[in-house]
Amino acid sequence: MSETAAKTFGTISEEAYRDLEEAVGPENASREPGVLDGYAWQPTNNDHPTERWVKRPVAVVLPGSTAEVQAVVRACNRHGLKFKAFSTGWGVWCGPTYDNVVQVDLRRMNRILEIDEKNMYAVVEPYAIAAQIQAEVMKKGLNLHIHGSGPNCSPLASATSGWGVGHDSIYMSYSPRNVLGAEWVLPDGEVLRLGAPGSGLGWFSGDGPGPSLRGVMRGSAGALSGLGIFTKCALKLYNWPGPPRIETEGCLLDARSEIPENMGFYLCAFPDRASFLEAVLKMGEAEIGYNALRTATAAYLNVMTPRLFKRLTDTKAIRDLMGKTLEYTIMMVLAANSREELDYQAGSLLSIVEDAGGIALDMSTQKPFVRMALMGFVRATIPALVFRIGGSFNTALDRNDALDTQENWRDACLAIKEEWISKGGILDDMGDNPYYVPYENNMWAHCEVVYQFDHRKPEHRAALEPIFLDFTIAALEQCMEPMFSSDPRVRAIIGPLAGGFNRWQREVSKALDPGEAADSTLYCGEGAFDLSAVDGAKVKRLNELIEKLKPEA
Amino acid sequence: MALADYKRDMEGCSRCSSCKWVPFNQIKSWRFAKNCPSICRYNFHAYSGSGRMIIANSILEGRSELNEAVAEIVYRCQLCGACDTACKVYRDDIDLTEVLLELRAFCVESGELLVEHMAVIDALKREDNVLGEPKERRGEWAAGLPLKDINRETCEVFFHAGCRYSYDPDLRDTLRGAVSLLLDAGVEVGIAGAEESCCGGRAYELGYRGEAANYADDLLSRVKASGARTLVTACADGYAHLRYLYPRMGKELPCEVLHITQYLDRLLAGGRLRLRNSLPTLFTYHDPCHLGRMGEPFLSDWKGDKLERPMSLKRAGRKGVYEEPRRLLRALPGAGLAEMERIREYAWCCGAGGGVLEAFPDFALWTAAERLEEALASGAEALATACPWCVRAFRDTASQAGIDLPVYDLIDLAVTAAGISVPAPA
Repeated sequence: MSETAAKTFGTISEEAYRDLEEAVGPENASREPGVLDGYAWQPTNNDHPTERWVKRPVAVVLPGSTAEVQAVVRACNRHGLKFKAFSTGWGVWCGPTYDNVVQVDLRRMNRILEIDEKNMYAVVEPYAIAAQIQAEVMKKGLNLHIHGSGPNCSPLASATSGWGVGHDSIYMSYSPRNVLGAEWVLPDGEVLRLGAPGSGLGWFSGDGPGPSLRGVMRGSAGALSGLGIFTKCALKLYNWPGPPRIETEGCLLDARSEIPENMGFYLCAFPDRASFLEAVLKMGEAEIGYNALRTATAAYLNVMTPRLFKRLTDTKAIRDLMGKTLEYTIMMVLAANSREELDYQAGSLLSIVEDAGGIALDMSTQKPFVRMALMGFVRATIPALVFRIGGSFNTALDRNDALDTQENWRDACLAIKEEWISKGGILDDMGDNPYYVPYENNMWAHCEVVYQFDHRKPEHRAALEPIFLDFTIAALEQCMEPMFSSDPRVRAIIGPLAGGFNRWQREVSKALDPGEAADSTLYCGEGAFDLSAVDGAKVKRLNELIEKLKPEA
Repeated sequence: MALADYKRDMEGCSRCSSCKWVPFNQIKSWRFAKNCPSICRYNFHAYSGSGRMIIANSILEGRSELNEAVAEIVYRCQLCGACDTACKVYRDDIDLTEVLLELRAFCVESGELLVEHMAVIDALKREDNVLGEPKERRGEWAAGLPLKDINRETCEVFFHAGCRYSYDPDLRDTLRGAVSLLLDAGVEVGIAGAEESCCGGRAYELGYRGEAANYADDLLSRVKASGARTLVTACADGYAHLRYLYPRMGKELPCEVLHITQYLDRLLAGGRLRLRNSLPTLFTYHDPCHLGRMGEPFLSDWKGDKLERPMSLKRAGRKGVYEEPRRLLRALPGAGLAEMERIREYAWCCGAGGGVLEAFPDFALWTAAERLEEALASGAEALATACPWCVRAFRDTASQAGIDLPVYDLIDLAVTAAGISVPAPA
């Protein structure tokens, strides 16, 4: 290690490192710089947008049990170190934000501990990924909610610590609803069991008998390891009316799956916003749908056939066709326990679409597409294609809110994106690229507007913070509490305007983490946008909105 | 190319960890969901495809240095290519295996060498084979067989035996069986005998580029002199190197290159190979990495932005040899095929490649044992494969770990089913 480089990074004392080695075994600890950098590379959603690396941890440990996690946390408390845990490690929220952080890689805690078929739940550890759990529970006629990040991510992490909507939310809601009890190593090293396991009564309920601290545990966005480390949780399971295993050849875009006979696929398109909203609300009332995803046709083509997309979208008529004619579409996947039930669901869907003046294309008859896309819906294997055209993406601030308000958010984001696409600050996906899922009888929806960039291009990195500021201003214009208030810059602006949630987060952090051992920046830290190079009119508007929305004393 | 030439590939890593898993559409259980032996065994992210690219990038940016510990991480990898094919499910602009190979070469250039690998290279230089066996004994396996000597005669098919088959006493009969099948079909076969050398692929994988190029030149000149229109090899390792590495080094052989399973498949289709004897066994088939995903032909040395590279030139593992061995297996009278969960371009490695067998035998054994567990879980009564390194790894592991699963080379099964007599060595 050169002297110059050593000055750049934090270090750990011999004594502290020995304690960590003792906690997990020497073979499961490392402070080798090359190894540590494996945890510092986070080009996607980096909290410092012009950077690709985050803070390098001073050590990494691989605990294999709850007891080892406790020992690591206690060692951090003893030595004035911070800890940051992650499961699969995708995204900046997994990485350190201080110079003295021990990265807790939960990879060795990877088991499915129990599948309770009768009571429809599974108890899992942090590194059991969604695809693994789904493969096992499907053998028992069950399924689990997979959040939109996809099958390579940890359902435990989503359920206990961060966000969590997905293609299946129309049937299974989102992650906070699906956690039934959790085992939580608090920032001081104590273990707290929430829900029924807190009373030693199994894992069937997240809210008792036993303590229910679901709101404190994860709140809206999750604490992202800023309040401790979750080592087990129970996940709610749902009916899976398909086969124990979906036979599939191929890996993704070349995939050919056998289509279960009791599933249906409908691409529904509507002439305008009002008819789209009316129909989706009625679908919710009718309680139909197993997967639902509002599709931006162009966004799909963009990642599935990127070279062709570039050429097609140079043609104005084709651009208009994809962007305008197919503007209000939603893909509905139906799954039923019998042919008769499927007929009922399909009949209801077609009737609703027709009443709203839309059209429904029965994609079940479009075999090449549906055989390729089945796992894309059921296992959410398609989202990671978002990396394809540039290697990175981010999303606008986004929120979970009433269905109709999401349309306003989509419109606002579209305008911002079009501006930055024209400036060359982000990649051209034609702008309209929402990850938009309705749920809970479709009264609610989640609209996460995606924008893609190539962080290898300096002009893209330079654009990221101004774009984020634009989204923040747009959120304020709509009096919106954005999901990504986990960003310290956004929290500092929005928190005081939204019930002072940031103050409460700090209080919770102080109470549970007296030793300040958790790396809690993304949970309750606050920061500031660099406004030095921002258009004066935007800064003025930001300040006006802050003043306008400030609560009365 | 140099390591720095792949910086854009390294920087492209999104750290999504797809490289650690079987493509998600193909995950069929908790137990057999992972694809990379190295990260599974050692767990730190640095041991994954992504982790090694990050290490390389970190070194290039001066954030960390190549040292003995880091080099060992680089070498604890079979270069099986599973990470690359999983990454390419989602990405077009990262050639992960190429980065790993460049990283090996960088280690060698930087003097971070493994003693065990140096021994392999010394053996190569001394005896022209990776096992260090006497060069003059290389052709002994063919004693008494009516084969042409390509050093003096021309021939229709140039048969390249490979190092492992030529010297492993357990596998010599397999090699004799292979050429006997060809001879029985009326094929005119020539070999280089004692003059045959290693293909050089293993040297390339270990990071010794110069040695690899020399061996490519040697084989190229022999093929030209033989006048053969087809080169057949039974060595999957050699097959991959002749199909991919040689053209990549600008040393493409002036003939068609086929693996023995491809050639036998053609003979079978043409009625020149008849499988008559019953083998009433339920087999599972292990796809050798070098015959499967790593056996893809060289497609292009794309110089521009890889986001613009045509899909037909993307090395995604799908153009490997998968169907021919399976057709052979299915053609065995009475035999059945029970597939494992991880097959084709997402097959789990046997553990022997990339210099791991030589430098880290415990890791090689662990990797093979994992595959044998998967084979047992398929319900098969025996495992068949088509690579001498895989056969050796599985037989040794089954023996050492007490795993009761017979391991067969497909050639031996074809010989038995064809009922031909293989002359005993003279």
